[in-house]
Amino acid sequence: MPPRSGLTPFALTPRFLCPSVPRTFARTIRTIQPTPRTRTDRFNHGAGLPILGASKSAAFLRKEAMLPLRTGALAIKKGMTAIYDPATAKRTACTVLQLDRCQVTGHKRRDAHGYWAVQIGCGTKEARNVTRAERGNYAAQGVPIKRHVAEFRVKDAAGLPELGSIVTADLFQEGQYVDARADSRGMGFAGGMKRWGWSGQPASHGNSLSHRVMGSSGASQGSGSRVHPGKRMAGRMGGEQQTVQCLKVLRVDKENGIVVVHGAVPGPKKGIVKLQDAIKKPWPQVELSVGVSKMGSTAEALESTI
Amino acid sequence: MSLSAPVRPLACIKQAIRQCRIELQQTRRYAVPATEAEYPSLQTRYPPPTPGFRPSQAIKQNRFETGLKKIPVVPPPRSTTKACPDPISILTNKQISVLDPTGARTRLFSPANPERVQPGDILVVRLRTGDPVSGTVLNIRQRHQPIDTAILLRNQLTRVGVEVWFKVYSPNVEGIEVVQRAVKRARRAKLYYMRQPRHDVGSVEGVVKQYLRQRSGGPLGSREANTGRKTGSKKGRK
Repeated sequence: MPPRSGLTPFALTPRFLCPSVPRTFARTIRTIQPTPRTRTDRFNHGAGLPILGASKSAAFLRKEAMLPLRTGALAIKKGMTAIYDPATAKRTACTVLQLDRCQVTGHKRRDAHGYWAVQIGCGTKEARNVTRAERGNYAAQGVPIKRHVAEFRVKDAAGLPELGSIVTADLFQEGQYVDARADSRGMGFAGGMKRWGWSGQPASHGNSLSHRVMGSSGASQGSGSRVHPGKRMAGRMGGEQQTVQCLKVLRVDKENGIVVVHGAVPGPKKGIVKLQDAIKKPWPQVELSVGVSKMGSTAEALESTI
Repeated sequence: MSLSAPVRPLACIKQAIRQCRIELQQTRRYAVPATEAEYPSLQTRYPPPTPGFRPSQAIKQNRFETGLKKIPVVPPPRSTTKACPDPISILTNKQISVLDPTGARTRLFSPANPERVQPGDILVVRLRTGDPVSGTVLNIRQRHQPIDTAILLRNQLTRVGVEVWFKVYSPNVEGIEVVQRAVKRARRAKLYYMRQPRHDVGSVEGVVKQYLRQRSGGPLGSREANTGRKTGSKKGRK
């Protein structure tokens, strides 16, 4: 039992029973800001020391050679056709892509976001079909509303075009190489033969109801009396982003926004494709301002080419 | 419980609160204009908009932005997809203008041309490199891209069946000539039944030789003699 104080209850004023809250209310915690921490020197961070492998600066140095110098563009896959070379009579299969209202809608900066990237938007959308939050974001950037938006990582601040700049098809030169990224066609719930290329079982010779099945799912007691995690099985296939590297640009039409690349590109027709300079080829020797024009100056730029 | 009832002096706080609530309810009642009471057909489904933002009423009248700050919208730039909805046909036409400037090849395979190549005709294809190839047309493949129109020619070279595909617009193909039109229109688009010995036309070398001789101005006797000859095979019938 706690020691009883010598004071009687009536010695204290009754106000202590209902303490009054001051007019200035206590500040509630609305956000949790990270406390600025000073980096510990346990792991050899310092001025004259080499940059540690597990650090952001080291990651940037590793990626330096791989990051493109300039932005990419969003294009719509229109379909495939072929180009005949009149001289050699060689037939080259190609994919026709079209840039539609590609514009720079934002920047990602290393000091604010931790990396350098250009946010490109393409297409358009009805204002009443876009939430006010999104509309406000576009209005704050001073750009029109875009249907599709994607980021293109660049090496440094020099690769960030002005906000609102229109990206046209002549960003890419005929003969240069590009990487194409798009969501592949969805195959739904695909069986093992389609998904993993299994060969199935015989069609006849007594085979009962097991022509395309998995067969065995692994060894028995010796392998743990279980199915190993990651065992290849039937399941959803496709509908994921795939990259096709080093596609040669065969034709460019700035007026109509057409870019024709060699070979195939993931995804169905009308799909959105991300195009950027190929990282496994030498960077194209063009100025950073090629293919990027200021908003409102497209008419002048087109007239100058005609 | 109306305002007209005499207000008792406040007996307790509870009564005062009750009176306040009633007054608030009465002030909140929506005022119905006199016209709607006279003309029932003009009665609106929902009361007219009241000043201030009332989400439920505004949404029913499709006014989602009433009372909210107007967000400026920048107009979009010129649309290339609207200006050029079919870029593939532009590319195709550009190529055809180079590969087939006279339009002869396009006419040969155009469905509007009554004298187009049809399955069953005998063709000779002159190549840029190599000997001319001749044969019966089994199939004229016209899929989604007109630039990839192709024909399948079947011939027998020393009793061996040979089938060759040719891309009609290929620069390798210098020219296509119709040696002989099908006697009777084939009732099929794809004459794969001709691979069977019963329906096989066989070697077309003789026909092609005569045609070439006639073209270069040779004797016409043998050609005329063969026109009335009945052919025993049932071409075109399955």
